[in-house]
Amino acid sequence: MWKKIRKFIIPLSICLILMLTAVVGCAEEEPAPAPAPAPAPEPAAPIKDSIVIGASRPLTGAQAPIGDAALGPMMQLWEQKVNADGGIYVEEYGKKLPIEFLIYDDATDVGTMVRLTEKLILEDKVDILFSSCGTSFISAQAPIANKYGMVLITAEGGAVTMRDSLPGLPYTFVSLSFSDHYELPVFADMCAAEGAKTAYIISIADLHGVEYGGVGNMEFARVGIEVIANKSVPITYTDFSLLVKEAKAANPDVFCVFAYPPIVLPVTGEMMALGFNPPAVIMGPGANFGFYGVSFGGDPAVVEGVSCFATANKDTSPAFAEHFTALEELVGWPNSDWWGTPLYAPIMDIWVEAIEATGTLDQDVIRDYIATHHFDTILGDTWFEMFGDGGGLMAKETHTGEIGQWQNGTMEIVGGGDWPATVLTSDWIYPKPDWPTP
Amino acid sequence: MNITAFTFKKSLVPGLLLVILVALVTLPIYGSLYNVILVTSILMYANLTVSWVLFSGSTGYMSLATAAFFGIGIYASALFLPTTGAVFPVLVVVLIGGLASSLVALGVGALTLRLRGIYFAIFTFVLVVLIMELGIWWELSVSHLLGRYVILVDNNVIFYTMLGIFVLVMLTTFFIRRSKFGLAMRSIGENEEAASHIGINVTMVKVITFAISAFFMGATGAIWATKLTYVDPHVAFNVLFSFMPVLMAIFGGMGNIYGPVIGAALFAYLQETLQTEFPEIYMISFGFILVAVILYLPNGVLGLIQKLWKRISGGKRAHT
Repeated sequence: MWKKIRKFIIPLSICLILMLTAVVGCAEEEPAPAPAPAPAPEPAAPIKDSIVIGASRPLTGAQAPIGDAALGPMMQLWEQKVNADGGIYVEEYGKKLPIEFLIYDDATDVGTMVRLTEKLILEDKVDILFSSCGTSFISAQAPIANKYGMVLITAEGGAVTMRDSLPGLPYTFVSLSFSDHYELPVFADMCAAEGAKTAYIISIADLHGVEYGGVGNMEFARVGIEVIANKSVPITYTDFSLLVKEAKAANPDVFCVFAYPPIVLPVTGEMMALGFNPPAVIMGPGANFGFYGVSFGGDPAVVEGVSCFATANKDTSPAFAEHFTALEELVGWPNSDWWGTPLYAPIMDIWVEAIEATGTLDQDVIRDYIATHHFDTILGDTWFEMFGDGGGLMAKETHTGEIGQWQNGTMEIVGGGDWPATVLTSDWIYPKPDWPTP
Repeated sequence: MNITAFTFKKSLVPGLLLVILVALVTLPIYGSLYNVILVTSILMYANLTVSWVLFSGSTGYMSLATAAFFGIGIYASALFLPTTGAVFPVLVVVLIGGLASSLVALGVGALTLRLRGIYFAIFTFVLVVLIMELGIWWELSVSHLLGRYVILVDNNVIFYTMLGIFVLVMLTTFFIRRSKFGLAMRSIGENEEAASHIGINVTMVKVITFAISAFFMGATGAIWATKLTYVDPHVAFNVLFSFMPVLMAIFGGMGNIYGPVIGAALFAYLQETLQTEFPEIYMISFGFILVAVILYLPNGVLGLIQKLWKRISGGKRAHT
C-alpha cells in the first residue's frame, strides 16, 4: 500500500504544489475588501503614505558614468529637498506626501530597461516614472510609457528622430538640448564669426554620432565652412592614434568629436601626445563633465580651450550657483554636468507644480497641465513646445546656453541662442591655447 | 513487469507537460499583465536556448551566432513593422524574420560548417559583429536612419506568438531527436569522421540543423522587437544574446529537451529577482550561482532533479 502511495500520491502532490505555487505566484493580487462606509458626512481621503518615483537607470555598464554624473545625483538631491519641505501636497489625499525613489539597474541594456520599465508601471505601480539614460534608451522607453499612459519627462538623451516621433507620443516631454536644438547652429555661427574655413568631424556610429555628424554637415555648410572629413567610428574602436594623425594632417580649423567619454577621453589624450591643436575643438558628451577636466593628470587647466555642449554654470544665476554647489557637496567633488543637469533641474519643479496645481497624481490630468502651462523654474520661464496633441520638447528659448569651454580650470558658458534667457559667462577663446608641454 | 507503474511512468511527463501548457495558455486569464510580460521574457530565452541546443547540443558545435539570427529577426520587424505603418501582419513578419535568419544560416553554414572546435565558435561570434557592422554601414550610408521604431503590439499577442514559437521549437526538437536525422546529428556529435564513414552527409545535416535552429531564433527576434519598440544595430545584435543561451543550457542541463527550458526559466526568473530585489549583489550572486552549477552540477539543474528523483524513488524512476 505504502509503495502505491509513494508511487502515485507523492508525485501528484508535488505536481499539485507546483501548479498551486505557479497559480498563486502569477495571480493578480486581489484588492483588499472594501471597508464598511464610514458614518462621517464627508468621504474620507484615500490613504497614501508616499509618492513613489520609479526609474530604470544604468547603475552598471557603459552608461553608468554618465548616469552617475547627470540625473543620478539630481534624484538624491530632489529626495532630500522635497522631503525636507514635507513632501508634495496632493489635494486628493488631503496632505503632503514625501517622495521615495524605486530605482532598478538596467545594466545599460535596452531590453532590460524595457522590462524594468514595464515592471515599474504594472507591478510596482509607481506614481511617477523617471527617465532612463541615453538617447537609444529614452527612444525605447517613451513608447512604453505612452502605451501605459505614464508621463515621461526624459533626461539624458534627445535626438531629431525622437523629436520626429513626438507627435505620436503625447505623454513624452523631452528636456535635453541636442544637435539642431540648438547647439550646432550656435556653434557653427561662432566658428564662422571667427573666420574658420574647414571642419573635421569624427562621430561614433550610433544614433547620437550619426545625428550630430549629419547636423554638423548641414550647419557648417550653412555658414560656409567646408567639412573636409566626416568619419564614423565603431563604438568598439580603441586605438585612436591613426584617426588623430589623419585629422592632424588635414589641418582643420574646427575639430569635432561627437562621441561618448570612452572615445572623447582617449582622443583628447592622443591630441595632446601628437600635438594636434586646431583653433576650435568641440567634444561631447564627455567634455561637459567634471571628470573630463581631471582625467589628464588631475589639473583641469590641461584642457584649457576645449569646447563642449553646456547650458549653465555657477555664474549663470544665484539659483544655478546653489544648484551646482549642492551637487558638488553631494558628490564630494566638482563632477558637474554643465550640459544636462541645468535642463534636468526643472523636471522636479514641473512635477511638484503640476501635482500641487491639479491636486492629483492622475497622469492624464498632469500631462494636460504640463502641456498647457509655463513653469517658473531654475531656468526662469520654462515651457514645452508641443507637437499638436502629441508630446513636447523643452523650448529652445528656455536654454540659458548651448556651448561651453574649459577656461582656467572650470566650465564657462561661451555660446547661446539669440533670445533673452541666454546668459554667457565668458567670451569664447579662439584660437584654442596650445596643449601644455609635458 | 508492473503495468501500473509503467503506465504511470509513461504518462507522468506528458501529463505534466499538458498541465504546464494549459497553465501557460490560460495565463492571461488568471495572471497579472506583468506576469504575462515576465513569462514572455522567459519564453524568449527558452526559445533561444532550445534552438541553440537543437544544433549545438546535438552536433557538439559551439555556435555563438544566436545574437546574429536573433538580430536579423529584430530587423525584420524594424523594416516591416515600422511605426509609419505595418507592411505585413505581425505573424507574417515573424515568419519573414525566421526565414531570413534561416537563409543566412544556410549560406553561412554551407561555407563554414567545415570549421571545427574553437574555430567555428570564433567564426560564429565574429559573424555577430560582422552583421552588426554591416547593419551600421547600411544605416549610415544607405538608409541614413540609424534608429528605427517598431509598432506597439498588444502584450497578449506577443505572449501567444512567443508561446507558439516555443511549442513549435519543442515539437521540432522532440521529433528531430527521435528521427534518423537526429540520430545522424548525434553521430556527428560523438564522432564526425565515423559518421561520415558510415554514409552520413555530415555537412548537409549540420547546415540544415543550423538553418532550422536559426529559423526559431529569427522568429523569436521578430516578435521580441515589438517589445523593444526602438531598434538600432547595437540593440539588435547584442552579443549578450550569444552567451545567454549557452549559460542557460549549461544551467539547466543539456541531457534532454527539458533541461534548457528549466535552465532558461530559472535563469530568467533568478535574473529578474536578483536584479530587482538585490541589485547590489546581483552580478556577484549570479556569478556564484553559475560557478556552483558548473562545478557541482555538471548535468545542470535537471541532472540534480533526476538525481533527487532517483533517490526518492529508490533508483527505479530515473529518467535519464
